[in-house]
Amino acid sequence: MTSQSTTSKDSIDATRDDGKWLSAFYDPVASLYTFSQCITLSDINADGDNKLIIADLGTGSYQMKLKVYKGTNLVSENTLIDLPTGVATFYMDQNEPRTPAVAVASGPYMYVYKNLRPYFKFTLPSLEINPLEQDVWNQVRDERIDVGVLREMLEGMRAEGTSLTVRSLRFIQLQAEDLEAFANQYKHTPLKKQTVITSLGTMKKSLAEEDAISCLVLGTESKQVYILDPEAFTVLSTMNLPSVPVFLNVSGLYDVEFRIIVACRNGNIYMLKRGTKNARSCIELNSQPVGLERMGKNIVVGCMDETLQCYTTKGKKLWTIKLPASITSMENVDHKSKGFKAVMVALSNCEVHIYKDKYLVNIIKTEDIVTGMKFGRFGREDASLIMTTKGGGLIVKILKRTAVFEEKDATAGPPVSQNIKLNVPKKTKLFVDQTMREREHCVSMHRMFQHDLYRLRLDAARSYVKALETSMNPVSTNTTEPLKLSAQVQGIGPTFKLTVNLQNTSISTASFNLLITFQFDDRLYNIHKTYIPVPMLVPGLSYAFETFVDCLSDKGISDTIKVFVLRQGRSVPIITAMISMPVSETMVVV
Amino acid sequence: MGFLDRLAQMLGLKKKDAKVLVVGLDNSGKSTILNHLKPEEAKTDIVATVGFKQEVFQTKTLQFTAFDMSGQGRYRSLWEHYYKECNGIIFVIDSSDKLRMVVAKDELDTLLQHPDIKDKRTPILFFANKMDLRDALSSVKCSQLLGLDMVKDRAWHICASNAISGEGLAEGIDWLTEQLQSMLKGK
Ligand SMILES: Nc1nc2c(ncn2[C@@H]2O[C@H](COP(=O)(O)OP(=O)(O)OP(=O)(O)O)[C@@H](O)[C@H]2O)c(=O)[nH]1
Ligand SMILES: [Mg+2]
Repeated sequence: MTSQSTTSKDSIDATRDDGKWLSAFYDPVASLYTFSQCITLSDINADGDNKLIIADLGTGSYQMKLKVYKGTNLVSENTLIDLPTGVATFYMDQNEPRTPAVAVASGPYMYVYKNLRPYFKFTLPSLEINPLEQDVWNQVRDERIDVGVLREMLEGMRAEGTSLTVRSLRFIQLQAEDLEAFANQYKHTPLKKQTVITSLGTMKKSLAEEDAISCLVLGTESKQVYILDPEAFTVLSTMNLPSVPVFLNVSGLYDVEFRIIVACRNGNIYMLKRGTKNARSCIELNSQPVGLERMGKNIVVGCMDETLQCYTTKGKKLWTIKLPASITSMENVDHKSKGFKAVMVALSNCEVHIYKDKYLVNIIKTEDIVTGMKFGRFGREDASLIMTTKGGGLIVKILKRTAVFEEKDATAGPPVSQNIKLNVPKKTKLFVDQTMREREHCVSMHRMFQHDLYRLRLDAARSYVKALETSMNPVSTNTTEPLKLSAQVQGIGPTFKLTVNLQNTSISTASFNLLITFQFDDRLYNIHKTYIPVPMLVPGLSYAFETFVDCLSDKGISDTIKVFVLRQGRSVPIITAMISMPVSETMVVV
Repeated sequence: MGFLDRLAQMLGLKKKDAKVLVVGLDNSGKSTILNHLKPEEAKTDIVATVGFKQEVFQTKTLQFTAFDMSGQGRYRSLWEHYYKECNGIIFVIDSSDKLRMVVAKDELDTLLQHPDIKDKRTPILFFANKMDLRDALSSVKCSQLLGLDMVKDRAWHICASNAISGEGLAEGIDWLTEQLQSMLKGK
C-alpha cells in the first residue's frame, strides 16, 4: 500500500485525525444533549442508508425530542413528553420492505414509532400498593380522617422505609394550606403505583439474522427486567433483581438461550438466563459502574473510580486499567469486515481511548467532552463514529479503510512477560479448610483480633504511664536533666562487674550533683559500692562507673538489680534501669 | 497490432483504443454513468457492482474500454491493480453524500500518491454526480472539498452530472477524449 504520511500536503490536512480517523462532520452547536443509550443507527427507511436516531434530552424539562439525521441533515423531529432513557430499533414484523421500528423509553412508557410516526405506547404493569397506604387514602375519601392525620401516617410509613406512590410522595411535600385541596382533587381517583424504565435493550426472538424479529428488554426502577413480545407487546417474561438495573447487555435468542448481563445501582453485576426468575450474582465491583460492554466472552465495566475492569462471565477479574480521567461514556466497537473488536471510553479530559483487550490502541482528541458515542454504519459508511458533546455538539468521524491498530500497547506498561501464568502449586486440604474457617467465622475472628489488639494497646499504655510516673525508664525525658543510662554486667560469677554508663544528652548544659545507687535483695547480692557519687557530666560524653557485685547464693537463682540516678536532696530518681542478673556459677572450692 | 488493424486505423476505419478506469465510492453512480454511455442494446439494470466489470463504448474518435470498479470498501483495494495499464481515470463523486466527501478525498489522495499514478500524467475526469438531488453540492464545492486545486501535476476536469438523464456526461467525455487523443498521438 502507499504510504500516507510522507508528503507535506497530508500533514497539513486538517481532516486527518492522527491518521486513523477522517473527520466527516463537526457541528459544535447542534444543540444535542444526550448520552450513548439514547443514540442509535439504523436503516429505518429500508433504503440502504442508515439514519442517526437520537433521543435528545433537551434541557431536561422541555425541548425533549426524537431526532433523525440523514447524513448531516436533520430530517425529522418528534416531540417527547417525558425524559427519554433509551432508544432502540427493532424489527417487529415480517413485512416488506424491512423497516425497523424505533422504540423510545421514557418514564413508565415505551413509545414505538413506525416510519417515524407514533405507532404504539406500552405502559409498564403497575405495582402493588402498600395496603396501609391504600387504606389511609380510602379513609380520607370516606372522610373518616382529615388531611393532617393522613400526612402524619404517610410520613410515618416513609420513615419506616415503605415505598410510596408518587401521589403520596407529592402530598408529603406540600405546604400545610395546600393539603386539603390536593386531597380533594385526587382522593376519588384510584391510587396507582408506577415504576419507570431505566434501561433498554433488544433481543432477537427466534432467528439470529440481521433483520430478524426482536423482543424489547426493559430494566425498571422496581428492580425488574421485562421482556416484551414485539408483535403483541405483552410481557413474555419478568425477572427480578436485587437492585435497580442501570445497564443491560443482551445476547442470545429468546426462544433458544439468552443471557442478560445487568449492571445495577448497588455496584454489582448480575446475570439473567433463560428460564430463571431471579438473578445470579456475578461480580461485586468496588465502585459504581458507569458503563458496561461485552467483549466476546468477557465483560468490560467502566467504574466511577476511573478504572476500566474486565471480568469473565464467571466473575473472575482479568485486568484493571487506571484511566487518566473519569469516564463519561462507553461504546463497543465491532468492525466486522476488519475483524476488529474493541471498547471505546470517552473521558472527561476531552479524549476518547480505544482499548483492544487491555491495550490502549488509539486516542481521539476532541474539542469538547464527549457524553454520548455510537460506532456503526451511518449513511453508507460501516465504520462511522458518532459522538455528542457536553456543549451539545455533534461529531462524526469515519475510520479510514487503511487504518490498522497496533496490537501492542500505545503507552508504556508492564512487560508482556508479566502476563505469563506462574506455576502455582495446588492448594492443600489444610489451606482449603483454613480458608473455609476464615470465610465462615470472618466476623468473630476479626472481632477477636480487634479485641486483643485493644487489650495489647491498653496494657502498653498502662505500662508506659506507670514507667513515666516512677521514672522507671533509662532515658530521662525531663528537659532539665536529659540523661541516658545503660548498664552492663560482666563475668560469670559469683563476682560480677557491673558497669553503669551515663551520658548527658543535652546540647550545652552540664549536670551536677548526681549520684548512683542500687536497689537489690541483700540476701542474694552484695554490691561493693552501693553509693557512687557522679562528677560533673559534660554534655555528649559517656562516663562509665564500675562496681563489683557478689552473688551470695549457690542455688542457681538470680534476681534483678535496679539502678537509680538521683539528684542530691531529692528522693524521686531521675532515671532507673533494671538489670537482670545472670545466674551465677557456683564457687569452686579448691 | 496487426497490419490490417493499422491500415484500417490509418484510413480512419478503426478507432484508437483507450483504457479508462472508473472509480469512486460505492453508490456514486459509476455503473449508471457507463450504462448511459453504452449503446442502446447493451444497456442493463443497475445493481451494485461486485469486484469489477469491463464495459466497452465508443465516441466519435475513440474506442473506450472501461473498468467499472466496485466502490465498496472491501473491493477498493482492487483499484490499484489497474493503475498501470489505464490511459485515463474517471472519478465519480456522489455530490449529495456530504458525509463521505472526506472518504472520497482520502481515496483520491491514496490514488494520487500511488507510484503507478504519481509519475504518470494520467488525466482525471471528475463527475460530481447526482446533481439532480435536492441536497447535492455544486461541482465547485465538490472540487473544493476534494482539494482539487492542489492537483497540479496532471490534467483534470470536473463537471456536474446526472447519470440517469445523461446530463453533463457528454461534456466530461468530450474533455477526456480530447486529452486521451493528444496523449495517444504523442506515443
Ligand atoms: N438521482 C440520481 N440517482 C443516481 C444518479 N446516478 C446514479 N444514481 C443512483 O444511484 C444508485 C447507485 O448507482 P450505481 O451506478 O450502482 O453506483 P456505483 O458507483 O456503480 O456503485 P458500486 O457499484 O457499488 O460501486 C442507483 O440507484 C442509481 O439509480 C444520479 O445522477 N441521480
Ligand atoms: Mg457499480
